Amino acid sequence: MIGRVRHLQEDRLFDCYTAAQAGELPDPRSAAHIADCTECRARYDELVQFMDGLRQEADEDTAAVFTPETLRAQQQHIMRRIEHLGHPARVLSFPGRVVRRHFAPAAGRIAPRWTAAAAAAGLVIGVGVGVVFDSRNRVAAPGPLAMTISRTARPAAPVVSVAVEAPVADDDAFLSEIETVLGGPHNQELLPFDALTPRVQELLAGLR
Amino acid sequence: MSDPRSVRLADSSQGAAAEARGRKAAADASAPDTQLAIEVRTLVANGDLEAARERFAGLVSAHQRRAVRIAYQYLRDAAEADEAVQDAFVKVFGHISSYREAWPFEVWFTRILINGCLDRRKARARRDRWFVASEEATGLDEARYAGSVAPDNDPEARILARERRARLASAISRLDGRQRLVFTLCHFGDRTPREVSAITGLNESTVRVHLFRAARKLRGLLGGKS
Repeated sequence: MIGRVRHLQEDRLFDCYTAAQAGELPDPRSAAHIADCTECRARYDELVQFMDGLRQEADEDTAAVFTPETLRAQQQHIMRRIEHLGHPARVLSFPGRVVRRHFAPAAGRIAPRWTAAAAAAGLVIGVGVGVVFDSRNRVAAPGPLAMTISRTARPAAPVVSVAVEAPVADDDAFLSEIETVLGGPHNQELLPFDALTPRVQELLAGLR
Repeated sequence: MSDPRSVRLADSSQGAAAEARGRKAAADASAPDTQLAIEVRTLVANGDLEAARERFAGLVSAHQRRAVRIAYQYLRDAAEADEAVQDAFVKVFGHISSYREAWPFEVWFTRILINGCLDRRKARARRDRWFVASEEATGLDEARYAGSVAPDNDPEARILARERRARLASAISRLDGRQRLVFTLCHFGDRTPREVSAITGLNESTVRVHLFRAARKLRGLLGGKS
C-alpha cells in the first residue's frame, strides 16, 4: 500500500523562508521534506521568487524617489538640525512699549469716553428720527399691504417691493396678492417649484 | 539524503541568507554601529559636541538608506518619509544619553523611527477625516519619481513601473495595521522576527503569524498564490 504524501502547509513553507532570511536553521523536518518533494520544492521556489520580487520592487521604488542626491541633501539637513540642537531657539522680543500703550488701564481714556458718548448720541438721534418717519408713513399709507412690481430699473428681472403695514389684518388679501404676482408672465418658471411645495390643506387632510 | 541546510543554501535565497547572517551579526551589541553610538554618547556626555556630530554622521550614513526604505514603504509619501527619517535621527542624537547598549543601536533607532511613522499615520488619518485629501503629495512623489528616471527611458516601461508601484502600494495599504508594520520591518527593513519583536514589543510568535498572514494576503492581492 502506498502511503499518502502529506505536503507542507503554507505556513511551514513560509517559516522555512523566514528562517533562511534571518540566517537561522529551518525546521529540519520541513527542510528535509522540501528537499525530497518536488512539488513542495516548486512551491517553495515560487514563494521565494514572489517575496524577492516584492523586495526588489520596493527597493527600486524607493531608490527612484530617494536618489543619491536626495539622500545627500537629507543628510545635510539632519546635520544642520543637529547643529542647532544645543542652541536655544531664537526668541523675538515683543515690543513692550506698544503693549503698555495699548493695554495700560490709565492711558488714553479720553478718546474712548468721547467715542462712547458720540455713539450713544447717534443712537438716540437715529431712534428718534425713525419714530418720526414711522408715524408719518402710518398716516400717509393707504392700505394695510402694498406689493408692486417695478420694471423701471431692470426690465428682465422684476423687482418686488413689499411694504408691510402694521397690523397685518387681512391675510387673505396678502395671499391673493402673492397669487397675483405668481400668476404674472415672469414667474411661470417658479410654478413647478410651487407645485412641489406641499399645501397645508393637503397635509391636514392627510392627518385626518 | 536531504540536508536540512539545503533549503537555505541551495536556492535563490542563498545570497539573501548570507546577507541576513551579516545583518544578524550587525545587530549584535558589539556591532560597529552600536560601538559608534556608545562613542557618540560619551562625547556628548563630555561636552565635545563637534566630535560627537562628526561621529554621528557615520551612523546616519550607515542607517539612512534602510530608514528611508522603511519610512517610505510604510508611509507611502516621499515628503513625509523624508521628514520622519530626519526627525528620527535628530531625536536619536538629542536623546543619545538615554541609549543603553543592551539594545543594538539598529533596534533602538528603528523603534524611534517607527514611532514617528505611526504618529504621522495617525495625524494623516485625522487630517483625512476633517479635510479633503490633497493630491499634492501624490503629485510631488510622481514628480520626484519622474525626475529620477533617465529621460531616455522607455515611456511604456515608465508607465508599467508606475502601475506596478501603484498596485504594490494599494496592496500594502490593504494590510491590517500590525501586519503592515511587521511586514515592512521584516521585509523592507531587513529585520528578523526576533528583532521586530524587540522593536514593536509584540511576542515573536505573534510577529511570525502577522508576517505570514501579510505575505499570504499580498500574494492573493498581487496575483501570487494565496
